[in-house]
Amino acid sequence: MIRKRNIFCYLMVAPAMIIVLALGLYPMLASIRMSFLQYDLLLIPTQGTPFVGLKNYESLLRRPEILQAIMNTLMFVVVVVGGVVSLGLLVASVLSRNFKFRGTIRTLVLASWFIPPIVAAGIWTWMFQPERSPINLLLMWLGVINTPIRFLTDSSWVLGPFSIPFFSLSLVRIWNGLPFTTTFIMAGLQSIPAEIYEAAEIDGASGIQRFFLITLPMLRPVLAILITLLAIGGIGHFETNYVMTNGGPKGLTNVLAVTAYNEAYTQYRFDIAASLANIILVFTGIIGFFYVRQQVKERI
Amino acid sequence: MTTHSTPSGTLIHPSFSIYQISKYASNAITILFMAFVILFTLFPFYWMLKSSFQTPAEITALPPVFFPQQFTLDAYIRAVTLYPIPRYLFNSLFVSTVTAIVATGIASSAAYVIARYKFPGVSIFLGILIFTQLIPGITRFFPIYFLIQGMGLINNYLGLIIAYLGFSVPYSALLLQGYFRSSCPPELEEAAMIDGCTYFTSFIRVMLPVSLPGIVAVSIFTFLGAWNDFLWASQLLNQGQMKTLQVGLRDFMGEAGSLQRINSFMAACVISTIPALILYRFLQRGMVSGLAAGSVKG
Repeated sequence: MIRKRNIFCYLMVAPAMIIVLALGLYPMLASIRMSFLQYDLLLIPTQGTPFVGLKNYESLLRRPEILQAIMNTLMFVVVVVGGVVSLGLLVASVLSRNFKFRGTIRTLVLASWFIPPIVAAGIWTWMFQPERSPINLLLMWLGVINTPIRFLTDSSWVLGPFSIPFFSLSLVRIWNGLPFTTTFIMAGLQSIPAEIYEAAEIDGASGIQRFFLITLPMLRPVLAILITLLAIGGIGHFETNYVMTNGGPKGLTNVLAVTAYNEAYTQYRFDIAASLANIILVFTGIIGFFYVRQQVKERI
Repeated sequence: MTTHSTPSGTLIHPSFSIYQISKYASNAITILFMAFVILFTLFPFYWMLKSSFQTPAEITALPPVFFPQQFTLDAYIRAVTLYPIPRYLFNSLFVSTVTAIVATGIASSAAYVIARYKFPGVSIFLGILIFTQLIPGITRFFPIYFLIQGMGLINNYLGLIIAYLGFSVPYSALLLQGYFRSSCPPELEEAAMIDGCTYFTSFIRVMLPVSLPGIVAVSIFTFLGAWNDFLWASQLLNQGQMKTLQVGLRDFMGEAGSLQRINSFMAACVISTIPALILYRFLQRGMVSGLAAGSVKG
C-alpha cells in the first residue's frame, strides 16, 4: 500500500521535477560553466570554446563601467525596494481601515498591478519627454523649476550612483511594483488580530504609536519575505532599464542584466554575458540563502 | 459623549480638545496622502488614454494639451495597420494561455502530493523548488537560449512556451502547495478513498474542484507572467509576424518613436493593457487571500 502510494507520488511529481531540473538547475550550472570558457560566438568556428578559468571575471572587474553597473544594480534595489515598501506600508495601513468607498479606492490604487513593464516604460518615457511632460508643466506652473527637467538624459548632476535618470527610472519601477507590495502587506495585516489594536486603543495608544509598536513588529516576518522577494527580483531587473534608457546616459542607469544582454546580443560575447549573469546569481544567492533556510524550516 | 479634563480640572468640549484636533489633522493628512497616491497610480493611465485619442497635431502641441479637443480613433486604426498588432495579440494570447494551462496542470499535480503525502524525498524536492525560484531569469537565459536553439525551436511557439514553463512551474507549485494545505481538509479525500476512489481520482474529483478558486488565481498569475514578459520573447520569438505584443511594442517604440506617431504607440499600449485589466478584475476577490495562503503563511 505504501509502495503504491509512493509510486503515485513520484509519478505526480515527475513532470515538474524534469522541468525544474532541465530549465532551472541545468541552465544555472551551464551558465557557470560558460563563464569559465571563451565563448565568443564570432571565434567559435575557428577556436572553439577553450577553458580560460577566471579570465572573464578578471577582465570584467577591470572595466570601470562594469563596476558602475554593479553599483547601480545594488543602489536601484535599495532605492526601489526601500521606496516601494515604505509607500506600500502607508497605503496598506490606510486601505485596511474601514471607510466609505474602500473597495473602489483599493481598486484604483492597485490598478497598475499587471501593467506590462514595457507598457509602463512606454507611458513614462512619453510622460518624461521634457517639453511635453505634464510633470514639468506642473512643476513650472508651481514655480518649482524654471527650465524643464530632462528626466532621462540629464547627466549634468551626478552624486555617486545617483542622478536624475537614476531617480526617474526608480520612480517607474516603484510605480510598477507598488500594487503587488501593497497587496502583500495587506495580506500580512489581515493576520494581525484586531483585539490587539482594540486593547492598545483602550490603553490610549495613538495611531502613530499603534503603527510603530504593533503593526511594524507584527509584520516583521511578512516584510522579511517581501523584501527578500523584491530584492531578488530587483537585482535581475531588466525591462525598465533596457527599454527606457538602455543603460544610458553615460551608464548612469546601466545595470548588470542590461549589460549582460547587450554583451550577448550586440557583442556576441556569451562568456562575458554569462559571467555578468553569474554576478547577479551571487548577489541573489546571498539574499536567497537566508530566505530558503527560513522557508524550508517553516514548510516541513 | 465623553469629555476630557485639563490638568487644571476644567472641563472642555471634546471637539476642541487636542486629541480631537489631532485626529482631524491626521484624517486630513491621510486623505491628502491617498489623493496623492491615487494621482500617482492613475495619472499615467489617463495620459496614455488621452494621448491615444489625440491627433498628431494636437499631441505635438506646446504646451501639452491635457484634454483632447478633437477626439479621434485614427491612432488605433494606424496602430493596427502600421504594425501587425492583431497578429502579435494572437501570438501573445496563444503562448500565454498554453503556458498557463500546462504549467498549472503540472504544478498542481506536484503540489498536491507535496502538500498531502510524506513520501521519501519530498523535502528535497520542495527544497529544489524553492531554490530554483531564486535563480534569476538572466542567469538561466543564455543556456536556455542555446538549448531552444539546439532543439530548432527559435521562432516557434513551443520554444517560448518551454522557456516560460521553467519559471512558472516552480512558482505555481509553491503557491499551490501552500493553498492546498489550507483549502481542503485531508478527511475529505480519506472519505473519498473509502468510497473507492484511487489516489489519482481523489485528486481529480475532490482536491481540484474544492481548490478551483486558488487554481484559477494561480493560472491567471502564470498567464500574466507570460503576457508581460519581454526578455525571453525578445530572443526566442522575434522574426516578422512571430513576435509577442511586448516585443512588437518595443519595436514600435524604437522605430516609430517619433512624436508624430506617439498617439498610435499609446493606442498599441492601451491594447496590450486590456487583458491585464480584465484579469485583474477577476483576481480582485481571491488574490489577497490567495497570496496570503501561498506565500505568507507557507
